[in-house]
Amino acid sequence: MDLTRILFEDFAPAAIGLFYVLACAAVATFGYGVYVQVRKYGRGVPVAFSGELLARFKAMLGTVLTHRTIARRDRMAGGAHRLIFYGFLLLFLGTATITLDYDILGPLFGVHFWHGKFYLGFSLVLDVAGVLLTAGLIYMMYRRGWLRPPKLDYARPDRQPADPDYDRSAYRREDWAFLWTLVVIAATGYFLEAARLVWLADKPDIWDTRWWSPAGAVLAEGLRAAGMTNTGGAALRLELWWLHGLLALVFIALIPFTKVKHIFTAAGSLMLRDPLAAQRLPRVPEEEKRVGAQYITDFSWKQLLNLDACTKCGRCHEACPARATGAPLSPRDVILSLREFANKTLSSADLPPEVELDVHGKGPGQVAMETLWACRTCMACVEVCPVAIEHVPVIVQMRRKLVEEGQMDPQLKKTLQTIHKTGNSFGESKRKRAAWTKALPFPVRDARKEPVDVLWFVGDYASFDPRNQKVTQGFASLLHEAGVNYGILYEGESNAGNDVRRVGEEGLYETLAAANVKAMAGAAFKSIVTTDPHSFNTIRNEYPDFGGRYEIQHYTTLVLKLLQEGRVKLARKLGLRVTFHDPCHLGRFNKGYEAPRDILRLLGCELVEMGRCRANSFCCGAGGGRIWIPDPVGADKPAHNRMREAAAIPGLQVYVVSCPKDLTMFEDALKTTGNEGKFVVRELIELLREAIEQEQAAPTPGVVAA
Amino acid sequence: MKLLVAVKQVAALDEDFEIRADGRDVEADFLIRDVNEWDDYSLEEALKIKEAAASPVEVVAVSVGPEDADEALRKCLAKGADRAIRVWDEAIEGSDSIAIARVLAAVARKESPQMLFAGVQSSDHAFASTGVATAAFLDWPHAAVVANLTYTPGGDTAVFRRELEGGVLHEMQIECPAVLTIQLGINTPRYASLRSIKQAAAKPIEVLSLQDLGIAAPDVGESGSLSRVRRMYIPDKGRAEMIEGDVEEQAARLAQIIKDAIGGAA
Ligand code: SF4
Ligand code: SF4
Repeated sequence: MDLTRILFEDFAPAAIGLFYVLACAAVATFGYGVYVQVRKYGRGVPVAFSGELLARFKAMLGTVLTHRTIARRDRMAGGAHRLIFYGFLLLFLGTATITLDYDILGPLFGVHFWHGKFYLGFSLVLDVAGVLLTAGLIYMMYRRGWLRPPKLDYARPDRQPADPDYDRSAYRREDWAFLWTLVVIAATGYFLEAARLVWLADKPDIWDTRWWSPAGAVLAEGLRAAGMTNTGGAALRLELWWLHGLLALVFIALIPFTKVKHIFTAAGSLMLRDPLAAQRLPRVPEEEKRVGAQYITDFSWKQLLNLDACTKCGRCHEACPARATGAPLSPRDVILSLREFANKTLSSADLPPEVELDVHGKGPGQVAMETLWACRTCMACVEVCPVAIEHVPVIVQMRRKLVEEGQMDPQLKKTLQTIHKTGNSFGESKRKRAAWTKALPFPVRDARKEPVDVLWFVGDYASFDPRNQKVTQGFASLLHEAGVNYGILYEGESNAGNDVRRVGEEGLYETLAAANVKAMAGAAFKSIVTTDPHSFNTIRNEYPDFGGRYEIQHYTTLVLKLLQEGRVKLARKLGLRVTFHDPCHLGRFNKGYEAPRDILRLLGCELVEMGRCRANSFCCGAGGGRIWIPDPVGADKPAHNRMREAAAIPGLQVYVVSCPKDLTMFEDALKTTGNEGKFVVRELIELLREAIEQEQAAPTPGVVAA
Repeated sequence: MKLLVAVKQVAALDEDFEIRADGRDVEADFLIRDVNEWDDYSLEEALKIKEAAASPVEVVAVSVGPEDADEALRKCLAKGADRAIRVWDEAIEGSDSIAIARVLAAVARKESPQMLFAGVQSSDHAFASTGVATAAFLDWPHAAVVANLTYTPGGDTAVFRRELEGGVLHEMQIECPAVLTIQLGINTPRYASLRSIKQAAAKPIEVLSLQDLGIAAPDVGESGSLSRVRRMYIPDKGRAEMIEGDVEEQAARLAQIIKDAIGGAA
């Protein structure tokens, strides 16, 4: 038995020639498209990458093959995409195998392997692959057409319906065209197979092995039952052959020009992923004259590639706290705007004049300053994006330009000037930074004067905000009682700069970072601890770029260790029903999910998680310098949104936070959302103090009961 | 065409401060330095004229003060001033606003600008006289507390508005060269990013001595001033007390306070 699939059998030589000409044209169009795209990316700023290419490739392959990122928080979409992906991949490999056999190994070496048992197995695999593909596609159609999840709604929060680039129906048409094209290619493939079987039904070696192509065989049975003859099969086969072939060629030719290119751009984007994209923002080179991104060409080629990788899946759009509260910002639309802008300006052979490259403004594809200032750099978008698009550095780089031009809220301007002048955002005298220590019954060491084990970097909010000072004092007592040899920098400490950097005031950030690195160089300590996740993030991830390499931990990990070692002793279990809010900079940014939860468990609290927790935690709205920018009057705020989520937990007693800014934001939101008296907002340290202290003076449940 | 902007590096008091041993000023360690707030507005006004001008306009910032005044000048350069001049000499120490005005007038003669802007006053000493005194030395027309200005570079006159009591506006015309003292709120001063300030560090600041300006040492400092500081001190704080309780208790407490006061005086 030497079975193989016929290819061009019964074709006139001219027809075969025509097919090859068309195939070459398709490949050439594909090649040209790739060239245009690569030329576009090449117009970005060059970037150097850390890490080995092979390791990056492996990581990308792992993500793609497992569909880890696509399946997150949307298992059905992940499953359907997996079907499409594997179906498509197998069919692609199948076609490549035929080409290898028929056009390469055969003519060149006279080697053919595409026959016999191999061929039969091959037929079966491809038939199954086609079924997978079609099933996936049909589910996606069902999802788009009937389920219509809100994240697939392309309505833009950053444009008005009258704006020229408000309309996104072209994207919708492309989505449907993509799905239909693939469905039709798959269907014509099956019918082609069936028609071929009908045509060759009198050849026993072919007909008898028809069940190796089960889908084709079923259809062939159907066609024969409907009265199709051998010659009818032959005619149908010829027509379908051309239809199927031409569709496939058109599909290939259009890959670089349509959303299909995400096959490549998403893979590239995943390969170039920076795991610290939001945690460690890019430096501005000393010699660089211009600061931040003003022109589309100020982005790196990797960022331009990122723009093309977006599949409009809407996950970032859904996760964004600014978008959720009606701000004119959607991370998806920032990316799509810039993509449209890049396509418009960077696709032709010559670069347009500089003025046409300016990405700031309200014109088509431009990004408005209201949009940029609405971002809280919470990283929810970066974290959830299945194709590793890094929105936060894009937004901050554009903000740098706005800061340079002074295009910002007057209040923010004032705060930045205050920080420059006094080293803190409260405009307080440097000497008052450690004023909170005066109320303590024990002295706090000055780490600049004597060596300590643990340097406590206190941070602005914990130092100056009266409500937070109580927490700060509580933590000092805890360290003191546990016998930790710790100290602080007193007036030597400056604002850590995390939020200043995320505002986009890079020069001020550099000054602050340098000042703190210098102050810490003048102190002898083994490691750093902080109660402030913002300071934690920048010292941990960004100070190394400024020569400051330290071992640093958030207080939750230190306290957990002290509890486990028995150095902090609990007098009683609290028995409270609590929920925990993951601070962006502790959770998403630095993966500190477990320690606070472990502590809550040790405190004897019943932890009820909110729907959005851990990596999907919902920003309090204070990040990215937004704590210094007044929210629009009357508008919903992220903290309000969050309070409503917490209030839905039956019997909730305490909303636990572990970040000074969270305490400020949520205590305020608790009142303004009318939830006061239902539950309370507490810093984890306060619960710890309650559990440590013997006397039961005003324990939290009392507050709740009141 | 040139505009001269006088700026001052002012001092603000830190939380707990100490008076200098000679009792005539605050110990320098306890001062936080910054650009005088009014001067931000006068610089902005000059920069606005420059940016709107069809022909080149040079904005020159000038400060009289020791080296730490460079910081104020650097901020001006960062925002867009073309040049910066600092005048200093040991002899200037102890000058009052009149002596400083004499120095500024000498700089103005040297630079011959179309207009000199000064802040209405400085936030630390608040004499509110340096600008107008400079005009007097120069014998130029002047106007104080300008809240709005219309000036086309190169023009012989400028039109401005001043705010008077009760919200009345005074619109006037002045011949150039002139001295205007600029009021807060006339514009929105721009932001000087830290990076632009750092880059301005590379720009030169011209340092002039009294000799360069042809001023004799006795004309500045205490000998060249019309006033001198005798002492600086913190007055005894007055006290206030909210008297609580019912009428009788309140009356009793009040009587006690009066008795104490009389007793203290006796
Ligand atoms: S960082 Fe947060 S606020 Fe900013 S765009 Fe992303 S999700 Fe929205
Ligand atoms: S940026 Fe990422 S998460 Fe957002 S829509 Fe595009 S692919 Fe989805």
